[in-house]
Amino acid sequence: MKRNGYTSWQSRVFDVINTIFLLTLLVTMLVPLINTAALAFSSNFASMQPGIVLWPKQFSIEGFTTVWNRMELYRPFLNNIIVTVVGTLGHVILSSMAGYVLIQKGLPGKKLMLTAIMVTMMVPSEAMMIPLYIVNKELHLINTLYSLILSGFVSGFSVLLMRNFFLSVPYEMSESAKIDGAGDFRIFATMYMPLAKAGLATVTLFEFVSRWNQFLPAVLYINDQKKYTLQVALKSLIVDTDVTSSNFLITTNVRMAGIVIALIPLLIIYPYVQKYFVKGIFLGANKE
Amino acid sequence: MIGDRPFIGFDNYSFVLNDSNFWKVFWNTIFIGGGTLLFQFVMPILLALSLNEVFSTGFKKFTQMAVYIPHLFSWVVVGGMWILLLSPDTGIVNQILMAFGMEKPITFLASQDKAPWVIIFASTWKEMGYTCILYLAAVVGINPSLYEAAKIDGANRWHQVRYVTLPQLVSTMKVVFMLNILSVLRLFDPVFVLRNGANASTVDVIMMYTYQKGIMEFSVAKATAAGFIVVISTLLLTLIVRKVTNYDEG
Repeated sequence: MKRNGYTSWQSRVFDVINTIFLLTLLVTMLVPLINTAALAFSSNFASMQPGIVLWPKQFSIEGFTTVWNRMELYRPFLNNIIVTVVGTLGHVILSSMAGYVLIQKGLPGKKLMLTAIMVTMMVPSEAMMIPLYIVNKELHLINTLYSLILSGFVSGFSVLLMRNFFLSVPYEMSESAKIDGAGDFRIFATMYMPLAKAGLATVTLFEFVSRWNQFLPAVLYINDQKKYTLQVALKSLIVDTDVTSSNFLITTNVRMAGIVIALIPLLIIYPYVQKYFVKGIFLGANKE
Repeated sequence: MIGDRPFIGFDNYSFVLNDSNFWKVFWNTIFIGGGTLLFQFVMPILLALSLNEVFSTGFKKFTQMAVYIPHLFSWVVVGGMWILLLSPDTGIVNQILMAFGMEKPITFLASQDKAPWVIIFASTWKEMGYTCILYLAAVVGINPSLYEAAKIDGANRWHQVRYVTLPQLVSTMKVVFMLNILSVLRLFDPVFVLRNGANASTVDVIMMYTYQKGIMEFSVAKATAAGFIVVISTLLLTLIVRKVTNYDEG
C-alpha cells in the first residue's frame, strides 16, 4: 500500500521514529536467536566464558555431538518423530472424515453435534489434566507412546476447519456422483479430499507443529526416561539440571545445541507454515 | 479411584475455596495472565500499524518473518532459551547490562518481583508476531479510498493511522481479545518451565496448583475441583467479555 505525496518533514520524522521502533523490536527478537545459535556452535570452554556472543567463539560442534551421543538425545528425538508423524496422520484422517460427515444434508442431530463439538473447544485441556491422567492410567497407557499419540487424536478445531473447507465444495457435485453410483467413501476420498487441499495442508501443519511441541501430555503420562519425548528431555536437560549435577559437566553450548536440534524440523516447514496459518486462524475464529 | 466413591457434596470445592494457597495462586494467575493479556493485546497492534507504514517491502517481510518465528517454538525451548539468556553468570542480557555500566548482575528468575515479569515478557516475545499477522491480514482488506478521502481532508500520516487504520481493525481486535482471554486461566507451560524454588511463591498459577495437588500429592478430588473452577470461570469470563465488547454484533 503505497501512499505517496508526503515529502514534508513531518512525514520524514514519522518514518524515522517508526524505523527506530521497528529496529528496536527486531533487535529484541533476533539477538536471543543469534545468541542461541552462536553459543551452540561454540566450544565447551568458550561457551562458559562471559561476554556478548553473537558469533561462535572457537567454532566447534562439540555441543551437538555431546548432546546427541553422550546425552542420548537421539532417543527422545526418534520418539518425537514417531508421535508426531503417527499422531498427525491419524488426526488429519479422522478430522477430515468427521468434517465430511458434518456437511451431509439431512443428517439427524447435526445441530446438536456441532454444538457438542464447539463445547469441547471451550474447555481448556489443561483444566482436564487430572481426569485425562486417570483415564490413561486406567487404560494402562501410562509410560507408552500410545498415550501421547491418542491425546488430541481428533480435535473440534480441526473438524470444524475441515468442515468449513468442505462446505465450499458444491454439494451438487457429490449428488451427481451418487447418481453415477459412487459410494460415500469414494466421494470423500476422490472428490472432497483433493478439492480441500488447502484445508488439509492447514490442519497438517497446525497439528505437526503442536505435536512436535506437545509438552503437558508428555509430562503427565511419561515417567520412563526411555520413552521421553524431545520436549521433556529438553526440559530436564536445560531446566532441571545444574551445571554440575550429572557425572560430567553440561556446558552452555550443549544446552543450546539441544535447543537448536529441537528447532530444525520446525525451521524446515516454516515457509509452508507462513503460507497457510493465517487462513487457518481465520477459518477457526469465524463466528457461526 | 475405582470403587466406593461416596457423595460428599461440595466439600472438595469448599476445601479449595478456603485454601489460602489457592487464593495465592489465583492472584498470581490474575497478575501474570492479566499482564500477558494486556501486552499481547497492545504490542501486536503497535507492531502491525508500524509495519504497515514501512515502504520497503524487503524490510517489512524480514521483520514479519523474524517476529513470527518464536510462535513455532515450544515453551520448553523459549523458556530454556530465556533461562540461559538471563542467567547471572554468562547470560547475554546481564552481559549487555554490565557493558553499559551496571555493577552487579541481576538474578531475574530467582527474584520474586521480577520472575512474573519475565514470564509476561517471554509470552509477549513468543506470541507477538503471530497476532501481528492477523492484524496485517486485516489491514490489507481496508478500502484504499478511505485513505484518499482522509488525504483530501488534510490528514497527515499519523492521522491516517489513528483515524483510518486503527478503527478499521476493531473487529479483528475483538477476535484476538476473545482468543486471548480464553487462555488467561489455563496458563501452565511457561510457568512450569520458568518456575524454580526461589520464585515459586509469585509465579505459581492455578494450573500449577492443580498439577501439584493431583499428580504430586495425588489428591485427585481437590485437583479436579480446582480444575472445574477454572472451567466455570473461563466460561463466565468469556460470556462477560462477549457482552461487553458486543462481540456478536460484528
